[in-house]
Amino acid sequence: MNAAKSFSSRLAGWLPRIVVAPSLLVVIVTVYLFILWTGVISFTSSKFVPVYDFVGLEQFVRLWATPRWHTAVANLFIFSALFLFLSTGIGLLMAILLDQNIRAEGFLRAVYLYPMALSFIVTGTAWKWIMNPGLGIQKVVNELGWTGFTFDWITDPNMAIYTVVIAGVWQSSGFAMAIFLAGLRGIDNSVIKAAQIEGAGLPLIYRQIIIPMLRPAMLSVIVLLSYIAIKSFDLVLALTNAGPGSATELPSTFMFSATFRRNQMGVGAASAVMMLMTVAAIIVPYLYSELRERNNG
Amino acid sequence: MSKFLASLVAATMLVPASARAEGTIEVLHHWVSQSEVNALNVIRKDLETKGFQWKDSAVGGMSGANAQQALRSRLTSGDPPGAMQFLGWEGPQWAEQGVVRDLNDLAKAGGWREALPPQLLTFVTSGDAFIAAPINMHRQNWVWANKKIFDEAGIAVPKTWADLIAAGKRLKEKGITPVAMGDEPWQIGIIFDALLSDLYGPEFYKKVAIDLDPAALNSPEMVKLFDTLREVRGLVDDNFVGRDWAVATGLVINGEAAMQFMGDWAKGEFLAKGLKPNADFYCFATPAKVPTFQYVIDSFGMFTVKDETVQNAQVALAETIMDPAVQKGFNLIKGSIPARTDVSVDDFDDCAKLGFNERAEAIKAGSMLGAMTHGFAAKPEFASVFGDVAAQFFVGNMASQDAVKMLVEGIDNAR
Repeated sequence: MNAAKSFSSRLAGWLPRIVVAPSLLVVIVTVYLFILWTGVISFTSSKFVPVYDFVGLEQFVRLWATPRWHTAVANLFIFSALFLFLSTGIGLLMAILLDQNIRAEGFLRAVYLYPMALSFIVTGTAWKWIMNPGLGIQKVVNELGWTGFTFDWITDPNMAIYTVVIAGVWQSSGFAMAIFLAGLRGIDNSVIKAAQIEGAGLPLIYRQIIIPMLRPAMLSVIVLLSYIAIKSFDLVLALTNAGPGSATELPSTFMFSATFRRNQMGVGAASAVMMLMTVAAIIVPYLYSELRERNNG
Repeated sequence: MSKFLASLVAATMLVPASARAEGTIEVLHHWVSQSEVNALNVIRKDLETKGFQWKDSAVGGMSGANAQQALRSRLTSGDPPGAMQFLGWEGPQWAEQGVVRDLNDLAKAGGWREALPPQLLTFVTSGDAFIAAPINMHRQNWVWANKKIFDEAGIAVPKTWADLIAAGKRLKEKGITPVAMGDEPWQIGIIFDALLSDLYGPEFYKKVAIDLDPAALNSPEMVKLFDTLREVRGLVDDNFVGRDWAVATGLVINGEAAMQFMGDWAKGEFLAKGLKPNADFYCFATPAKVPTFQYVIDSFGMFTVKDETVQNAQVALAETIMDPAVQKGFNLIKGSIPARTDVSVDDFDDCAKLGFNERAEAIKAGSMLGAMTHGFAAKPEFASVFGDVAAQFFVGNMASQDAVKMLVEGIDNAR
């Protein structure tokens, strides 16, 4: 009986690992193995089909000599920074306001969250029409009487990237709001009551107590939103088609067009490797510091 | 397992093999709009009279890029379709990989080499072997103009780009948008290609777009070309960002704009509204001393497959495509002209007849050129550099010298 008991308890110990193993294997192969394959391709002279020779850093040199790539990298930083900052900020603000026990909270929550249910293609196309000077906001405001008003960012190569930010923030702030709201609801009321007894005003309570307690929610929001920001491909394609010219090129659209439209698979692979390194350089230290603190504190 | 059960299993496994004895060929293409499907049905019906079935694999979207991707995955997994619609350099590129079937016997029997314009052969042959059958020929460098606006302003069909730009400026003063277009790089590329072949002759186009000669790329002529492109930009309204090409054609039809630079697929928009060439709209080639014919062709290539019935179907399909009657029927619906030069054009409309005659002249004059924007001149890695530079120049306010510099560096980087 002893042997049977230890076998079933051993099995119970191994069961979680067995259940997760197939998915883990799939992820290791489809994600990490192919990341490795892309890395290998970036060191070859592949153009139309994969070719397995070795040309050293030639594709990376070619990549960094392409002006469109410089535009794409600059755009990625501008877009990601603004997108994360604005989505988190607006989401947090909306969550705090919704948390005040207002009447139509369920309805308002649904309204703010709905944009997330849209595909980025729909968002991009709709905002393309809204921001078109001859069809959308500029036309409406001009016809209302303010004839000097212009809002033609989408036609201006220098300002077009900010239109992508606007469309992206509109879509994702509801999502950030939902996560922050859940985090706020999880905060123990006694802490707030204690602070109010001490005589702290509401803004102070929020700044010094509640927002620091939202660090885990902040971590989730930032990781999820940065994944959306770096992946932004369909939004850019639908909104501006990487235009005007190549003003809103992002590394994701660059990689796609280099690999599949321009017969430059090696350059596309090199750009993908650069994207991976950039993302890893930022996210890995952030994750490490957040998770280490949680384990310690 | 009992012997009876084993033989039953073996019998069921043979059933699918016998179902293919009819001869089916799977054709991968990217034609999904109604008129394109109607045109394809001409080929399909003719193939069926030969006793073969057409299995349709239409993958639309992104001007054929999705179909190319579908083909890539099929080929790398070792299960190619019977036939595929090739665009640009795809046919020769796949032939270099050794996966495309040689159609030389059929070509010799059908006299393909004599029936096709010699300039076309680069895209349907690999070395000496025929690897694709071209069904049609589009022309990229057309100008479509609203007749009423032209007549009221007293503008005749321009003979030079200088005339065209001057006419455009006159129209602009009258408050009419001279040129309707969108800001997509390929729409800008159509104008760039036209300028490249019209301003300095077909030889310059060949040196720049095909040979990628560094001296020609870095020449004062290129700077002047960009200057002219800048003048064309002055004829376009500021709302052209994000505009679809068919919407721009609509503006010309409605009389809100005077002309559009577009390939002959725009003709369908006019004909669908019941408008007649030379009665309601003008169609003329982009003005040049030597009128050029910038061609875009669709051809079907066959892949090497092991199944004999499919191989027979491939032969039948190639014969069907090169059949003059099929070419005529297909192109009457599609709006292009037959790839074969020996098909009679009596039933085609006036614009197609004009295209046919100008093609014959262009072949003689050596101004029959592949359209670079659609991938029939430089290979994609170089053609895309031209597209990028022209588009960035057109939508911003770069100086012509800087554009030429960017072009030269971009081409060098892609070598």
